[in-house]
Amino acid sequence: MGLPEIISGRVWKLGDHVNTDLLHPPSHFSLDEKKMKEGIAEGMVRLGSEVKKDSSDEGWVIVAGENFGCGSSRETSVRGLASFGVKGVVATSFARIFMRSLINLGIPVFECREIQECVKDGELIQISLGEGWIESSHQRRFPFSHIDLHLKKILEAGGLISYLQQEKDGI
Amino acid sequence: MAKGITGKIIEKHSDGRREGGYVSAKIDFILLHDPTFAILLPELKESGKEIWDRDKVLLTVDHFSPPSSIERANIVREVLSFATEKRLPHLSVHQGICHQLLVEGPWLKPGMLVLGADSHTVTGGALGCLATGMGSTDILYSLITGRTWLKPPEAVRIDLIGKLPPHLMGKDVILDLLGRYGEGGFLYQAMEFYDKDEAISMDDRFAICNMVVEGGAKNGLFWPDKVTKNYLIDRDGHLDDQKNWPDGDLEYSRKIEVDLSQLRPKIALPHSPAQVVDAEEIKGETIDKVFIGSCTGGRLRDIELTARLLKGKRVAQGVTLLVTPASQRIYQKSIEKGYISAIIEAGGVILNPSCGPCGGIDKGILGREERCLSTSNRNFKGRMGDPSSKVFLSSPLTAAASALAGKIIDPREVM
Repeated sequence: MGLPEIISGRVWKLGDHVNTDLLHPPSHFSLDEKKMKEGIAEGMVRLGSEVKKDSSDEGWVIVAGENFGCGSSRETSVRGLASFGVKGVVATSFARIFMRSLINLGIPVFECREIQECVKDGELIQISLGEGWIESSHQRRFPFSHIDLHLKKILEAGGLISYLQQEKDGI
Repeated sequence: MAKGITGKIIEKHSDGRREGGYVSAKIDFILLHDPTFAILLPELKESGKEIWDRDKVLLTVDHFSPPSSIERANIVREVLSFATEKRLPHLSVHQGICHQLLVEGPWLKPGMLVLGADSHTVTGGALGCLATGMGSTDILYSLITGRTWLKPPEAVRIDLIGKLPPHLMGKDVILDLLGRYGEGGFLYQAMEFYDKDEAISMDDRFAICNMVVEGGAKNGLFWPDKVTKNYLIDRDGHLDDQKNWPDGDLEYSRKIEVDLSQLRPKIALPHSPAQVVDAEEIKGETIDKVFIGSCTGGRLRDIELTARLLKGKRVAQGVTLLVTPASQRIYQKSIEKGYISAIIEAGGVILNPSCGPCGGIDKGILGREERCLSTSNRNFKGRMGDPSSKVFLSSPLTAAASALAGKIIDPREVM
């Protein structure tokens, strides 16, 4: 698998303490991938996003505030984001279960405080994993916090289950 | 020095592997329930791997309990067919909420490391173990390997001083902390409670630990004491040796003291469990529904105090009171003690032990602009029903008192 050198996508901007019930309403719980994805579209409406949900062919990069993804552990929210085309998630800080689930499903996460106030919904941004920066559409660069080695290895494997297959003495 | 009891438990369960800031630790027990287990089930089957130790797994059906749509009926059917095929020894179907069943069974003891495929797995920490929730993929990894990767958290010591006055419950203690420190106030941290006077009941401790996740904590636990011992003896008929109970010097990054005698009945306002005020500050707020139940507020003490308050009175006209005992065992005891009769005679409706309307799943969900006072743990927008509905959170006592008044009140007004 491996990680791409550059991730790019349109910004889906969110505030502080956005919980998983809001992001993916519990009424949309389903094992059907299409319905999981629809749950995210509904979450986007409830969160009052200014961008049209079908306007991005480039994929999405979420830029959120503090404690992103707090609340329920239901992984349908993260699986829904993957189906929706979310390529990476930037936040000031993450709720722990949500952050683990993003990484476990191979979606890179980045902690960065400064960028939240400096980007707009729908703006195109780029993230360089190798060089450690996120670049806004105005070519302004923001560094993100160091990604822990363990998390990096899971991401490089493409997710936790692929990582398990790589662990020689895993079982 | 270990970072709290939590750090000590992680050290003792470590298998020596480290990577970055994470350590690999062996697991003592795993809790599963229908929706989150159903997510990982196709991948578990596809992997061809077996569960590492079936004796250390409790599988419950408590969310879709019993299922109310064809899709959910099919999910439960898949889960049960797997459980039967694999002959899982601990299977609990429509017996109550997983977090209550986990602590009623003979499994959890102080010093253990416990995972669950649900964020409220933290409830089990009241028994002095490290219990924490994870997503389905993490749980799949652990079901196959019997291990998990943990980042040892900073520990916060919280001393609870004095006794709870009769108008207060564990729920008021945790709402007070959430109100003071916020939704991210304990992010990635372990909240370790010391009940200095050994005066807080186990049911109140479960309610406190249940909601540590609303402050962002990795886990919450109580230092095991006389209350823990009595609970374990009552539950198991005996007390095992205490070699895994915490001891020695522990390091804390923060210390907080709570004087229980100074607290007041609390309410969390819509739409955050950390937006907390005193009940008396918002008395008179109208409500359409009162829900007493969930893994926070449906235990025997919750039903008992509700029944005592309602006995011989009537729920206000226009208000629907829904009461859901957290397990069949609690339900049965509540019948034997006359609590259920008292609630029914007061006009309350009893639902079968399950998660019910708390997660917007089952009977009792809220319609457009409905206002509910609930003893559950989350009042996020749209969680319990229509996105325009509003949910206030309180203790079962405050909820029962407000059901009588037909509006939010401080329970002292009717005690």
